[in-house]
Amino acid sequence: MAEPLYNEAVVKKCIIAAVFWAVVAFLVGVWLATELAWPQFNLGLSFINFGRLRPVHTSAAIFAFGGSALLGTSFHVVQRTCRARLFGGDALADFVFWGYQFFIVMAALSYVMGFSQSQEYAEPEWHLDLWLTIVWVAYAVVFVGTLMKREEPHIYVANWFYLAFILTIAVLHIGNNLAVPISVFSAKSYSVASGVQNAMIQWWYGHNAVGFFLTAGFLGMMYYFIPKAANRPIYSYRLSVVHFWSLVFMYIWAGPHHLHWTALPDWTQTLGMVFSIMLWMPSWGGMINGLMTLSGAWDKLRTDPGLRFSVTAVGFYGMSTFEGPVMSIRDVNALSHYTDWTIGHVHSGALGWVAFISFGAIYYLVPVLWKRSGLYSHRLASWHYWIATLGIVFYITSMWVAGIMQGLMWRAYDAFGFLQYSFAESVLAVHPYYVIRMLGGLMFLTGALLMVYNLIQTVRSRSTEPVFALPGALAVAGE
Amino acid sequence: MFIRHDFIERSAFLLLVLTLVTIAIGGIVEVVPLFTIETTVEHVKGVRPYSPLEQRGRDIYVREGCYVCHSQQIRALRDEVERYGHFSLAAESMYDHPFQWGSKRIGPDLARVGGKYSNDWHYAHLIDPRSVVPESLMPRYAFLAETPVESDDIAARLRALRMVGVPYTDNEIANAVADLAAQSNPTADATDLLKRYPKAVTVLGNGHVVTELDALVAYLQVLGTMVDFADPAEERLQQ
Amino acid sequence: MDFEPSDLIVGLLMAALGLIGLILASGAMDSEMYVFGLSLFGFACVFDFGLLRRHFDRLEANRHG
Repeated sequence: MAEPLYNEAVVKKCIIAAVFWAVVAFLVGVWLATELAWPQFNLGLSFINFGRLRPVHTSAAIFAFGGSALLGTSFHVVQRTCRARLFGGDALADFVFWGYQFFIVMAALSYVMGFSQSQEYAEPEWHLDLWLTIVWVAYAVVFVGTLMKREEPHIYVANWFYLAFILTIAVLHIGNNLAVPISVFSAKSYSVASGVQNAMIQWWYGHNAVGFFLTAGFLGMMYYFIPKAANRPIYSYRLSVVHFWSLVFMYIWAGPHHLHWTALPDWTQTLGMVFSIMLWMPSWGGMINGLMTLSGAWDKLRTDPGLRFSVTAVGFYGMSTFEGPVMSIRDVNALSHYTDWTIGHVHSGALGWVAFISFGAIYYLVPVLWKRSGLYSHRLASWHYWIATLGIVFYITSMWVAGIMQGLMWRAYDAFGFLQYSFAESVLAVHPYYVIRMLGGLMFLTGALLMVYNLIQTVRSRSTEPVFALPGALAVAGE
Repeated sequence: MFIRHDFIERSAFLLLVLTLVTIAIGGIVEVVPLFTIETTVEHVKGVRPYSPLEQRGRDIYVREGCYVCHSQQIRALRDEVERYGHFSLAAESMYDHPFQWGSKRIGPDLARVGGKYSNDWHYAHLIDPRSVVPESLMPRYAFLAETPVESDDIAARLRALRMVGVPYTDNEIANAVADLAAQSNPTADATDLLKRYPKAVTVLGNGHVVTELDALVAYLQVLGTMVDFADPAEERLQQ
Repeated sequence: MDFEPSDLIVGLLMAALGLIGLILASGAMDSEMYVFGLSLFGFACVFDFGLLRRHFDRLEANRHG
């Protein structure tokens, strides 16, 4: 029996997982925001205390939602643009998918049970890190193997970004998680590095989890789905080349801006700051490349809600990648660091860029993968768009106000030269903004639920596939 | 230049290797010198490995994810030094595996919280934060007071720490269980404990069993107290 | 019987990992390692059963097709 040219089953599974984890991540996020607004919501239960639940939220958002979306879209994109089925057979692709889901579930479970390395975005303990390494190597084998057996002479630009994401995450993950367990039968371990070196390695990892997981990977998404949905070629090939290499080179240096004014040596802080500011340029180069691809196709924004998400995402990307360099300036950082401004910045990137570009890709992919003529409802998708956008605005503006207020209160002096406010006063002052933030998150969650309903109805609608199955290779020949 | 790129993007192998080289540069330049440049970590007197009970407390601090709300890094800024004390030195976290500098202050910095409050205050605060700080957003940690601290694996913990570079002696590892008990019993003879771990604060348990809360308080009470900043020799060394 | 080579390799790898999970659970010093080891074992079993099922599904399809 002729097998279809592409393995779409695994892409479908990844997309379902991404949508599922998106809802989980947003739900936990809203719960945590509620805990911060009213601490009674910790309920005195160890396993849902803020400290244990917060990594569940970040891991669910970054690794579960973002990661599943990246797995799915990279498998889709690499097959289509190479005109080759995934390397390693269905078994290996399935292993990557299920192994990754297993990692996520186990990691979340370990945090609430009280096992964490307490290194931001690298919380899973050593045994889970090893498991993820195995899965990741398998992922790299599938991806690179597919590139190797491609039928196209060139490797498409989206795949450069996916490749950089896969390789760099492997290096970062192994580098930052080196640890010695107290026994092979114990989940508790101690990191190999300590103090200042540990801090530098952690933020080399942490910032490039942003740079390569949440940026390079999703730029791969941008470089495929925006041209596809707009039905236009990428605006500038040269710009993609410059964008790719400069972004990949510079991002890796930016980590020390998380450690301004600390015990980290000044030369490292300065390097981190300089590169963070320079990073503004490649970031905006990428943004321009994405936006200008719509030249002559801007009218599609009115008719294609998925594309609207993607384009707005690029807009948010531009905004956060301007805000980031500003915050990495030492004197701005003196005010902004340790405050909610950082939280607002992260969420304008995570909600505005990462989630929106994923929503755009998902709205595009579901009808394509399930062979439907289109989305069940454009109106619902529009509602999703507006509710979610408004939610983001609530979220980031409340965090800007809260963060700048905290920063100013902490450094305020009274007429006698004493510190004007106690720390507790700053906690009390931000309460209203924490409530607004929670409402913003609730709106974003509501939008996502609308998406879930819309997608389910889309899948349940009538298939456009002919009743008599054509040989698989023909069925996808439109590509 | 762009003709060359045509060459790169036709070879998955070349693209892979060049990407790896490109990302390696920044990381190597920023990380490696921190291990080789000797002035990265100051030479100051007083910094010692954590006592067994303090280390167990630290493990609980790590386990509960306290770093998501509390930093342990006082920046070299006027208001921070006035609010929290002398800015943090790299040497003060040289035995911290992992470091817990944190990135967000939902609560205050804890780098020098040691000795600022009484043991009683800490117990009351951890059991119900709003009983002593009405504005607090902190969750209650009453369950720590009901959980006995596991001490049978303490030697394994210290040995693992020694493998990653904390200079525990054989003697200290052999006496780990005794030291742990001594630090959580105000009536015990603390001479040996204090010889091995100067400035260790004895915590008052509930009298019959050492709880995780005792360990956590012992850890909090030693934070930032090891270096004596009143000693003028230290002032000169940091410059 | 035509085996997909990848089915065989991945299947054996999973079996080995599942065995490691069982060993970890048997010697576990803490709850996390116990839960992880058992889950890994269970995951490996289910995954390998999935591979077997697909293999026989394919044989069946070939016979009818």
